[in-house]
Amino acid sequence: MPDPAISIQNLTKIYPIPFKRERLTAVDDLTLSVEPGQVYGLLGPNGSGKSTTMKILLGLVPATRGQTHIFGRDSSFVESREEVGYLPENPYFYKYLTGEETLHFYGKLCGLRGEPLRRRTRELLHLVGLEDAADRRLGGYSKGMLQRIGMAQALVQEPRLLVLDEPTAGVDPAGSRDIRDLILQFKTRGITVLLCSHLLGQVQEICDRVGILHKGKLVREGELEKLIAIENQTQLIFENASPELLARFEAEAAACGARLVEKSKPHATLERFFLEVTQ
Amino acid sequence: MPPRHRFFSPGRIGAIAGNTLLELVRQKVFYFLLIFALALIGCSFFMGFLRPELQFQVMKDVSLGAMSVFTWLLAVLATAMMLPKDIEDRTLYTILAKPVPRLEYLLGKLLGVLFMLAISLGVMAVLFAATLYIKEQTTIAAALGELRQAPPEQVAEVVRNVKAATFTWSLVPGIAIIYFKAALFASLTLLISTFASSWIFTIVISVAVYLIGHLVPIARTYLLETDGSWISKAFLTLLTLMFPDLQLFNLTDDIVAGNALPPGLFFQTAGMGCFYLAIYTCLAYLMFSKKEL
Repeated sequence: MPDPAISIQNLTKIYPIPFKRERLTAVDDLTLSVEPGQVYGLLGPNGSGKSTTMKILLGLVPATRGQTHIFGRDSSFVESREEVGYLPENPYFYKYLTGEETLHFYGKLCGLRGEPLRRRTRELLHLVGLEDAADRRLGGYSKGMLQRIGMAQALVQEPRLLVLDEPTAGVDPAGSRDIRDLILQFKTRGITVLLCSHLLGQVQEICDRVGILHKGKLVREGELEKLIAIENQTQLIFENASPELLARFEAEAAACGARLVEKSKPHATLERFFLEVTQ
Repeated sequence: MPPRHRFFSPGRIGAIAGNTLLELVRQKVFYFLLIFALALIGCSFFMGFLRPELQFQVMKDVSLGAMSVFTWLLAVLATAMMLPKDIEDRTLYTILAKPVPRLEYLLGKLLGVLFMLAISLGVMAVLFAATLYIKEQTTIAAALGELRQAPPEQVAEVVRNVKAATFTWSLVPGIAIIYFKAALFASLTLLISTFASSWIFTIVISVAVYLIGHLVPIARTYLLETDGSWISKAFLTLLTLMFPDLQLFNLTDDIVAGNALPPGLFFQTAGMGCFYLAIYTCLAYLMFSKKEL
């Protein structure tokens, strides 16, 4: 049985409030597990403890209680970060570096040098579609380009786990779709993804499992399809069905004791419509 | 696949140091060298009314003083903004989320600033030596013009005197001490920035330490020669232990006057600079290793 990509057990984080006796519990006895190859969505309103959980997992903040492991290694140890790539929310990388220099810098931090580093940089620039902007300084990059170079730096050491905090925040729909496609691509490569996002539609599209945090507690967790399915309802979508045929179905259903809840035409998503109009 | 993680990697420290140096270069911090060059040129042109030996002495005095102030200022300003900016921009998260220990991050940042200070001081020293050399050549040419009829021994003595008054190797240890003082302040500023709430606070505290550091010998004299209360003695003892005696780094007056710095004094002062640098860096690591980001 392989180690889980992420294992969090009884994690609690309490922040003291300066000059007050009160204390703020940001994460409260959280236990969850993410299996290798899954795309896991960590959801919750602002202040629910998502970012704190991510920071503890990455060793940026110590836990008050509990344990966190990445592929079986205690995540408070620096070595565990060999397996992790991280993209924070709204990151600003060094503006004076070009895209290529940025990837070289992060590559060197992961021990890459010489030709392997140059090859990996070329691969990543190709993967995120920034080959033409490789020589431009990041100060001139758009928000979407910054997110993509951020994604590339997260992947530089070929990690088995990607931690993405609001990867599409502030990005236009086309850029957002590119990032979503990249995440789906990672999934096919077997990379585990822990995704924090407020864009529930996007989470629904790409995540296998989700956990919902509220006031530091995990209030729901499980496979997405099972969580959101309405067990006693069934949806059928017909093409070219005549009104007479539909009337017969309705009558037959009523005769069998079933109740028609809704009859409507399916809609394209606003995102799809927007992209059709703008591209 | 990248190589296995190493507990301590000079390569990673070098990458962070190189990047810090590149940041400072691309932020055009070296532009201040132009101000230094202009001050030097101005100083050499507007002292024609003084005797040549005095002109050289004033030039050396002003230049070494300017080098000391510029290097100290650069050390404080460049270091004060490093850590808060990386935290604010979340760049620090992306670095520490890689297999980079916090100690390596701090050492890399500090080394980057120390490289930059070495380059700046080196350029200033070269500019200083070049200006003195040009001044020396014009002074000798003028003297030779005036002493056309004088005996060769007198001419040789004048030339020898002029050369002795300009750039001599005895100035180099003085410049090195300026570097050690600036390096000490870079590490102190780094320490303050690990717990300061803003870079302005960091700069204010660094300037305060600069002033206190120059008052340490007065505190020590008071401590040794007066019978104050135990509270004032305890306070002054703490003060003299916590802050370096910056007056010990003011060795340039003697050097400008033409006296060579005794090797013992040079190594003692340089050793003190390195000692405080090591202490402040260790304290900075202790603070930063516990910092919640």
